[in-house]
Amino acid sequence: MFKILLGGASRLMSRPVTTTGTKIIVTMSLLIMAAFVVVVSQVLYIHQSLRLDEAQSMWQTSHSVGRMLQLVAQDVHVPLYHFMLHFWQILFGNDVTTVRYLSLSMFVAIVPLTYLLARQLFDWKQSLLTTALVCVSPFMNWYGNEARMYLLLTMMTIINQIFFVRILQRKPNAWWGYTISAIAGSYSHYFFGFVLLTQGIFYLTNVKSFPRNSWLKFTGVATGVGLSLLPWLAYVHSLGSANSTRPHLIKPNSVDLFNTFAQFFFGFQDDRINTLIVSSWPVLILLGFLAIQKQHRFTLEIRYIGVAAFVPIVGAFLISLLVTPLYISRYLIVALPALYLLLVWLISGLPRRLPGYVLVMLVAGMTFTLGHQAASADTPVKEEYREVADFITGAAKAQDVVVLSAPFTIYPVEYYYKGEAPIETLPQWNRFEAGDAPAYRSADLPLQVTTIKGNRRNAWLVLSYDQGNNKEILRYFDQHYQRLIEKKFSVGLAVYEYKLRYDTPDTDALINSLNR
Amino acid sequence: MKTHHPQATQVSSALLVINVLMSTLYFIAIVWVFSHGNAYLFAIFLIGEVFHLWQIITYTYTIWNVSVATTPVANARPSIDVFITVAGEPVDLVRTTLIAVQALDYSNFKIYLLNDGYVAKKPNWRDIENLASQLGVACITRKNPGGAKAGNINNALKQTTSEFVVIFDADHVPTPEFMTKTIGFFNDPAMGFVQSPQFYGNHTTNYITGGAWEQQELFFGPLMRGKNRLNATFMCGTNMVLRRAAILDVGGMCETNIAEDFLTSLFLHERGWRSAYVDEVLATGLAPEDFSSYYKQQYRWARGSLEVIFKYNPLWRKGLSWPQRIQYLASASYYLTGFVVIMNALLPIVFFFTGLVVFNIATMALAVVFIPYIFISLLALQQSSNFTFTFRALAFSYGSFWLQMSAVGAVLLNRKTSFVVTSKQQVGGNFIHLVIPNIIYIMVAIAGGGFAVYRYGLNASVVTNMAWALLNIGLFVPMIIAASPYGVRPSRHTPESLSIQRDNKPVRPKEMMNV
Repeated sequence: MFKILLGGASRLMSRPVTTTGTKIIVTMSLLIMAAFVVVVSQVLYIHQSLRLDEAQSMWQTSHSVGRMLQLVAQDVHVPLYHFMLHFWQILFGNDVTTVRYLSLSMFVAIVPLTYLLARQLFDWKQSLLTTALVCVSPFMNWYGNEARMYLLLTMMTIINQIFFVRILQRKPNAWWGYTISAIAGSYSHYFFGFVLLTQGIFYLTNVKSFPRNSWLKFTGVATGVGLSLLPWLAYVHSLGSANSTRPHLIKPNSVDLFNTFAQFFFGFQDDRINTLIVSSWPVLILLGFLAIQKQHRFTLEIRYIGVAAFVPIVGAFLISLLVTPLYISRYLIVALPALYLLLVWLISGLPRRLPGYVLVMLVAGMTFTLGHQAASADTPVKEEYREVADFITGAAKAQDVVVLSAPFTIYPVEYYYKGEAPIETLPQWNRFEAGDAPAYRSADLPLQVTTIKGNRRNAWLVLSYDQGNNKEILRYFDQHYQRLIEKKFSVGLAVYEYKLRYDTPDTDALINSLNR
Repeated sequence: MKTHHPQATQVSSALLVINVLMSTLYFIAIVWVFSHGNAYLFAIFLIGEVFHLWQIITYTYTIWNVSVATTPVANARPSIDVFITVAGEPVDLVRTTLIAVQALDYSNFKIYLLNDGYVAKKPNWRDIENLASQLGVACITRKNPGGAKAGNINNALKQTTSEFVVIFDADHVPTPEFMTKTIGFFNDPAMGFVQSPQFYGNHTTNYITGGAWEQQELFFGPLMRGKNRLNATFMCGTNMVLRRAAILDVGGMCETNIAEDFLTSLFLHERGWRSAYVDEVLATGLAPEDFSSYYKQQYRWARGSLEVIFKYNPLWRKGLSWPQRIQYLASASYYLTGFVVIMNALLPIVFFFTGLVVFNIATMALAVVFIPYIFISLLALQQSSNFTFTFRALAFSYGSFWLQMSAVGAVLLNRKTSFVVTSKQQVGGNFIHLVIPNIIYIMVAIAGGGFAVYRYGLNASVVTNMAWALLNIGLFVPMIIAASPYGVRPSRHTPESLSIQRDNKPVRPKEMMNV
């Protein structure tokens, strides 16, 4: 099987480059790859449970445009994706699958766009290989099926990079595309700033390689981007700069840094597989050594790709260590296309048949982890709120209460939950009131639990998205009530049933009759 | 006038500075930041890292500026004796060289075949004499042995008188402009010698010649350009011009060292003579075509260079400038790499069998400092070599650890090593016995990896050490390939050496322009 794959790949790659023949091969390959993305989505990803972030997106975009902008600003995001999702839902509906199709459609668009970007640097064969890597990427497939802005961010990054490289290569008609994509990208995610920062650094360190007077045009673009963002930033400022709603992140360490690279290639894997992947890093050195080949040049374009692959990641890492924590691997998806391009460049420099072997192994590894990520219950980013909700819907009675912590997990649970028991959060939160969810305080816990308990018979405690207090909540319940059931649904998502009172409706009736 | 030669690649100073900074940061991290494991292992590791840091700093210092001087126009046409050293090489090969030398674009020179076939007991020594008379050139056949190639040259020096001496090995075919491209440097009365690159015309013949040439490219590229800047160019035994007064000033070519050219250069610099490097291929020679010849050549260079460290340590030579001392030490110490290679290569194996580690840290922490350091080093290396360096060249150096260690042993034990002229013809094919240490390493590493998995399970430390072992195996394999019959299997490319030898007209392949 391996030999057949390798042989097939070699035959394809050794075809003479004829204009018509190449066009047909490229078009067919891109169509097949796009179809692959759709099939993987349908079979493995699109029907997965709604996740917290997605629930938030759906909730935010279900409001009027004005209110939606306010919510997005407070959620520390820029609004382009939410705008698109708002109208997408009006046009096509608002069930989870339909909502995710917006990201999937962008993923499908990314297939030819990746090819176009790669084509600025490579021949058609290497460009197809880069595109193939994107298609089998577990990371891309994950976010290609998530109702969030990451694929929009990736798409805008690729488009912007296409135009940037075209400027570098002094090709015509690149400036307008570059400017528009820079503005649109800036409205897709704040981390798009790293794309522009990278280009700025690259420009300043290679200014002589750019067209004469390009500094004037780049200044114009920077001004245009700044001016276009100004209204939004002013609006965010008027809301208090989202000071109280920023996510609370922790400082990353070296493991987080390497996990990012591992995730970019092999997705989100359980600890065992992830350890194997990340610990194999010296193999990368061997690949680097093997790629030292005659005339395997680090051209100006490849240098840019190298910078684009690492500056966002290293930059975010250093800022997180030195200024404020902002390191989240999915935000750094802006580096992924460049990283894949760099890897293909590295592999294409390997001697003799090695590129074929390495690519087949890499694609096989990525394909395996693509499937494993979807199928494994231990995938760390999985959030099985649907299963949780279905379980509680079936098990909880009207006299029970469902208690959620963290409070904001109410969005995905509520989306699926059809039961009769009311839902409460710890700390208690009325999300229909203006303002943020109240902060957790240990001292308030007994009173809040007592209030929630009321006359309820059993409590269904759903713990996920630990904000640092889930253990304490669990301990409190364990110390005060009898635990009946414990069930884990995905990593960090568990349900516990507690008996809140020992008198039952039957005993109540008996006591009442005796009193009479 | 200093110019930037079109083939010379000047690496940006920023990259070089970043390279040294990253290396230093890495060094600081491993010494002062990381928690150390076993003290002995750490000490061994540290020695290797000090050596690497020394190599990176000296390499950066060498290639900091690689602009080379263009050849000045000669003020005069001084008399030159051209020596072609012969010690049993095939007559046809010598004939080719001789004809090319006769065609040199210069008027005032005399050719001598320095025939050492008699003292080296080569059967064709008479044929060489016949060839000389056939082509009308003088032949000096030595009858009293001693001093190997250096002795042969010194013998000829006594019997000749010209102001300058040009030396070609028997297989090095000069281009017609050899003299005009070199002699102008001697307008400077302090100029002692001029060296030009040693290009291997047969570098596409097989795996070994390819690897040998790729190693040479780095040396005759950025390294020699940098040494030229520092007046620290050294002679390479062929394709060079010497001022007779200079060579006599140091008592002729040094006969006590197996790498006579290296040590003689040191003596010349010590006496205040200047040197120059012509950054242009002016002669085409032949690389060793079989592993045995390659091995002997490398061993000879290693032995000779290491002897300089142990017996003529440049640091204590009074006449040398500090840049020259550093350059000689850097070049000679390259052959100590073998010890560092094996020390590093053994670390994962030690872990497999004992569980001892160098650092008590998360493997990722090491990666954070090591990966940027190594990749920036590779980038600087590639850019400075104008993208001519290869994995094969690297692996040939890395895989020669046993050869280099044997050379150190021979120097320390004062074991005698005879000068054997590098064979210009293929000898046999299978020399696996010369790379048995490489094979043993691979076998032990595989067994150790299996043992570690059995003993500790597939945890992070085991996986990382297995990956390190794999890296070492990957670097040892090319040497094994070279020693196997595959090493002498003809390459798919047309061997250029054939075209050189057939029509007597030296060709200038594209690759020559990249030197």
